[in-house]
Amino acid sequence: MAKNIEQTVKDLMAIVLNIDAADIDDSTSMDNTPGWDSANHISLVLALEEEFAISFEVSEFEMMTNYVDVVQVVNAKL
Amino acid sequence: MTETAAKPDRRLAIRESWQAGDVHAATQTARLLLLEQPGLTNYRFLRQLLTGAGPTASGLKPLRVALLSSFSIEFVHDALIAFGFANGLQIDIYQPGFGQIRQEILDPASGLYAFSADVAILAVEGEDWLPEIYNDFLDANDGQGSGPDAALQRFGQDMAALLQAFRAASSCPVLLHNLAAPRVRRAGIADARLPSGQAQRVAKANAALFEVAAKVVDTHLVDYAGLVARYGLNNWYDARMRLYAKAPIAGGMLGHLAQEYMRYFRAFRGLTRKCLVVDLDNTLWGGVVGEDGVDGIALGTDYPGNAFVEFQRAVLDLHRRGVILAIASKNNAADVDEVFATHRSMLLRKEHFAELQIHWELKSESLRRIAQRLNIGLEHMVFADDNPAECALVRRELPMVTVIELPRRPEMYVDALCAEGLFDVPSLSDEDRRRGQLYQQRAQAESMRSSSGNIEDYYRDLAMELQIAPVDASSITRAAQLTQKTNQYNLTTTRYSEAEMSARLVDPDWVVSVITVEDRFGNHGIVGVVMARVLDGALHIDNFLLSCRVIGRTVETAMLAYLCDVARERGLKRLHGHIIPTAKNVPIRDLFDKHGFDKSAVDEAGSTRWGMALDDHRVAWPPWFRVSCKATAAAAVTNSDVE
Repeated sequence: MAKNIEQTVKDLMAIVLNIDAADIDDSTSMDNTPGWDSANHISLVLALEEEFAISFEVSEFEMMTNYVDVVQVVNAKL
Repeated sequence: MTETAAKPDRRLAIRESWQAGDVHAATQTARLLLLEQPGLTNYRFLRQLLTGAGPTASGLKPLRVALLSSFSIEFVHDALIAFGFANGLQIDIYQPGFGQIRQEILDPASGLYAFSADVAILAVEGEDWLPEIYNDFLDANDGQGSGPDAALQRFGQDMAALLQAFRAASSCPVLLHNLAAPRVRRAGIADARLPSGQAQRVAKANAALFEVAAKVVDTHLVDYAGLVARYGLNNWYDARMRLYAKAPIAGGMLGHLAQEYMRYFRAFRGLTRKCLVVDLDNTLWGGVVGEDGVDGIALGTDYPGNAFVEFQRAVLDLHRRGVILAIASKNNAADVDEVFATHRSMLLRKEHFAELQIHWELKSESLRRIAQRLNIGLEHMVFADDNPAECALVRRELPMVTVIELPRRPEMYVDALCAEGLFDVPSLSDEDRRRGQLYQQRAQAESMRSSSGNIEDYYRDLAMELQIAPVDASSITRAAQLTQKTNQYNLTTTRYSEAEMSARLVDPDWVVSVITVEDRFGNHGIVGVVMARVLDGALHIDNFLLSCRVIGRTVETAMLAYLCDVARERGLKRLHGHIIPTAKNVPIRDLFDKHGFDKSAVDEAGSTRWGMALDDHRVAWPPWFRVSCKATAAAAVTNSDVE
């Protein structure tokens, strides 16, 4: 069965940002995650596009600066 | 998107193998992961595994890559490192900011030179360096700019100057992109009718790059235009990322670019595969000959028989490029002989194969025997079979062999065989083209050996002619290739690029020569390299190697005799050499001992130093060779009539 979207996002963020999936929660954001810099942000966005077979607008890149918003933007595309 | 069950399993298996120090299993599984699930997340996963804390890399070959680009190319790093991992390479990348190509190359104190790269890549997009024939094409044609002709001329000169400046400062190989087609035809469909249209001018720019690359040693033109065309301009580029991050290549294409580079990297690190072992039933033809009969197998002009003919053509092409072919099949030999002898659609003939293992034993055993008989390392062998169980067996028993598991549909076989470019070499030498034939000669010579009475009769019966000549423009590609590829009969395993070797050709203190052998079965071409250097009144052997094709024929004795003569001609008193032991070079370790040299030192790594005083010793030329030595650049060697 497909994993739920939240878990898939967490697993993917864990790999791209080199953090532990279990440490990701609603408070996780670019501001408090050292690996989540602007270059890795683009890597994350591209990996999400590939994983979910979706495409973001540039304005959406700039909205997805924390875990909650990432899930929300991804959900809106599915 | 649903997950396949295989994905997390592969990652877990790679992590476990890696942490257990099993590099063969880790790289093999990484290759499978990237074949089955190529993608940015898996590239990043492998990069994190390789560069993260925990056990350090061992058993991977390091490769330092300088990446110079006219655009933001750093998103390819993950893919480069990941595919490198799957190929047994540990890749370190130097990446200056985009658009720094000129500064980095022209400034001798730049980070580029401090990095001391093993390979430098010049990744240039036409729209960055030749706007006059890309985005500004109509402006330039309206007389607004300097004009496309002037721009093209400047481009060619500019690239030549940059490459020469780089070559003056570094001897590492260079990969130079050619230019992809423009994304937009500025004049619309009329471009096709303009003799000076964009399409024609891009072709001219690429012709100029071809000329430039041909003039600077060890510069390899990467057919970026062809690569982009295979996937299509509209898929290759991502306009959003180009405008937002100056990163024009779409995320889904980065793996393809990395794989194109791998074809070169494998060659630079001696990882190019040398031998393809194929199955027969449902591989070279459809069906099972033992059950369907010669007339019942699928091979011919209609589907699916024509798909198998196409696959045979691809295998035959590899043979013509110098790949050794062999067969590992569970079959009755008589059935197979009948197919070879009578089936009219067989493109492959029995004589194209250097070794046939046709019986009912394990295929892993067949592969071991082929490796042993042909004297080829298992890590240089590729095994292609349609049967997943056979593939799994070989992967488990012989993890160093690369397995191509043929897909279910025969029309996909050629892609499966060619996708990774496992056999690709940056340039084909005459020896490459003739290698298949050479291995047949070798087999004939071997069978004569068993019929000759004693070993000296065998050497005489071979009627060997030996030519030893300084390396020149016609032989440098092959000579450098031999230093990179030869593992077994190689004293020091010092690898040289063409550029490094050519620097020594002009140094009068260096002797750099190649050995060509011909026997009654044919010409083997260039089979050996000697490099030696004059230092403190002695000649020091730096590199001494021989292709495994001619091992066991005393060619090495002749090579030492040649070096003794060279040293005496130059008035040198001693000949020195050293042996650096590797996992592979066991066959050559007794070289000096056997030829009367004295051991002078052993270091803690097991390297041994040897010497011979030339006042009262010399290595004699074996009498069964007819020898001709061409003069070296610095000293005439006159003993062309030996014994």
